[in-house]
Amino acid sequence: MGARTNSPHRRRIEVPLTAMAIAHPPILSRCREVLAGGPTEAARRWKGPAIGCFPVYSPVEIFHAAGALPIGIFGAGGSVELTHADARFQSFVCSIAKSTLELAFQKRLEGIGGMVFHSICDVARNLASVYRRNFPDLFIDYIHFPQNPTSSGSLDYTSAELERVRRNISVWLERKITDDALRESIRAYNRSRALMRRLYQMREESPERVNSVEAYQLVRAGTLLPPQEHVELLEAALADLERRAVKRMDRIRVIVEGAFCEQPPMGLIEVIERAGCYVIDDDFVAGWRWFANDVAETGDPIRALAGAYCRQSRPSSVRHDMTRPRHEDLAKRVREKNAQAVIFAPAKFCEPALFDYVLFRRVCEREKIPHLLLEFEEKMWTFERARNEIETFAESLLFE
Amino acid sequence: MLITAGIDIGSGRTKALLLGEDGQILGSAAIRTRANFDAVAREALEQALASARLSMDDIAYTAATGLGRYSITFRDVQVTDITCAARGAQFLFPDTLYVLDMGAQSTRAIRLKEGGKVRDFHTNEKCAAGSGSFLERAAKYLEISVDSLGSRSMESSTPRPISSVCAVLAESEIINHVSEGVPVNDVVRGLHESLAERALTQLKKIGLNGSVTFVGGVAVQQGMVEACRRKFGVEVLVPKDPVAVTALGAAVLARQRATRRMAGAGTSSRS
Repeated sequence: MGARTNSPHRRRIEVPLTAMAIAHPPILSRCREVLAGGPTEAARRWKGPAIGCFPVYSPVEIFHAAGALPIGIFGAGGSVELTHADARFQSFVCSIAKSTLELAFQKRLEGIGGMVFHSICDVARNLASVYRRNFPDLFIDYIHFPQNPTSSGSLDYTSAELERVRRNISVWLERKITDDALRESIRAYNRSRALMRRLYQMREESPERVNSVEAYQLVRAGTLLPPQEHVELLEAALADLERRAVKRMDRIRVIVEGAFCEQPPMGLIEVIERAGCYVIDDDFVAGWRWFANDVAETGDPIRALAGAYCRQSRPSSVRHDMTRPRHEDLAKRVREKNAQAVIFAPAKFCEPALFDYVLFRRVCEREKIPHLLLEFEEKMWTFERARNEIETFAESLLFE
Repeated sequence: MLITAGIDIGSGRTKALLLGEDGQILGSAAIRTRANFDAVAREALEQALASARLSMDDIAYTAATGLGRYSITFRDVQVTDITCAARGAQFLFPDTLYVLDMGAQSTRAIRLKEGGKVRDFHTNEKCAAGSGSFLERAAKYLEISVDSLGSRSMESSTPRPISSVCAVLAESEIINHVSEGVPVNDVVRGLHESLAERALTQLKKIGLNGSVTFVGGVAVQQGMVEACRRKFGVEVLVPKDPVAVTALGAAVLARQRATRRMAGAGTSSRS
């Protein structure tokens, strides 16, 4: 057993939250409680069926409309030792796939009756199959989103696929999912997503007011809470943060890109800011903030969700939209948000992120946008090297 | 007048320095570092302000450096001590390309580019054997004051070398020398020679090829400076106040940022 990586006590010490240096609103303490409880506590509190959603995107409204709580399963975040998963995956597979499998082997998904995966990469595809083979009592579904969401047939195809998911969930839970219930769930998640957009807008405008660890925690809490509770949490937090007065420091404004699936340790997010950056945009927990604007709350709800996926999704490394190249979108965001640099933060062995890194780097060099590559893995527990790299990067931009 | 402050929270001492618009040092202070970094930084800065007859409101911009830089809540920016030491040395000796910064806990060899940017560096932070705290402990074992180390070393002509690279083992070696009746001054000079030797190894790693500016708390010991001159074989420049050079570098960088801020460029604001 590797004592260094296995010591949760050590890790807790390594992740002192920036927020603790600032007087943080009590609502953020509530947020941290939710995160500390994790998926099993979230399922226990719900008292109904719960379904695990492997990132990146899941049509959570369908599960919610069926009376189930959609819970984001983002691996184990370094909290478990891999004793089973390593035997089932190659060494070059990302951490999140292995630890997500390990959670089930170690019976740490108690209360979660099913898992949903979708077509983001080969690893996720195989993870769904491995889950199905090893845990026959779990409900497992795998959603095939269209490879080309802008083609003429994509809307019909996606609608049919989401309709299939609705049928499967209905059969599994023995509960009819009505259109009215679906529209109600769309409204609930629209509200939550709108508040997350507001949170991000606030951070973009006043990054000293809401640091990135807080923003991350507030968003991540939404992967463990029913949407109504998440809305209450966000509303209270936003009201508190609006009143916060904090000195703005002289830091570079950066966009962090690449951590849309496996999530970076919070210590790393904190280090990025402490080392001299204000994170003004990122793609953390991207699937739960998937849409650029509200999903239609009237009409056929399945078609509304399908339409939103095909037409309203944010550019992502796991959704190929040739009409809006992701790297060009990045350059556009840098300009619009007045960012000074980009930090690429892909998880180790994340193929979609690392493939896109080539394109991202190319556009950054073309546009003369300073950039830094910072790979991470969920069991990362010491951030000294990352801090040195980021600090040096920031200093190279701040000082002539 | 545009006044900027540089604060360097080192493991031994906290230094604050105020810089005027045209580059003159308006005031400085150095106090012992305590556990509450924010409070000790304020205290050092207030002392520097008092010496310059200025107040907090006069400071346009504050740059923090040193191990406690993240804890200074009133800072505008934090900068690594390597960058600050380089800028401070370059401010005083514009042609310098190699800097040796020997503090209480760490020794850094820094190579500069033209203009003062850092090109390369090497640090010994994993072990205190090559730094000021080692000398402090040695002084304790030798039952002499730290302040006397520099002059005692100068009085010796037959240094007794300390061969160990480990602080703990080196201490045993010192005790052995004392028990064998080796004169204290010879042991002190041996310590300085030993430290200079280790510093030279670090400087060689960054490609030493020119004069060295020696800064940090250890550079106040004349015996250490002379040991470096003998070992390095190049000119060794020592500022008048080597302890404050890193804080000076922070203040210089603060001035650069403050000037840019006033010009409305390169800030973290959303325009």
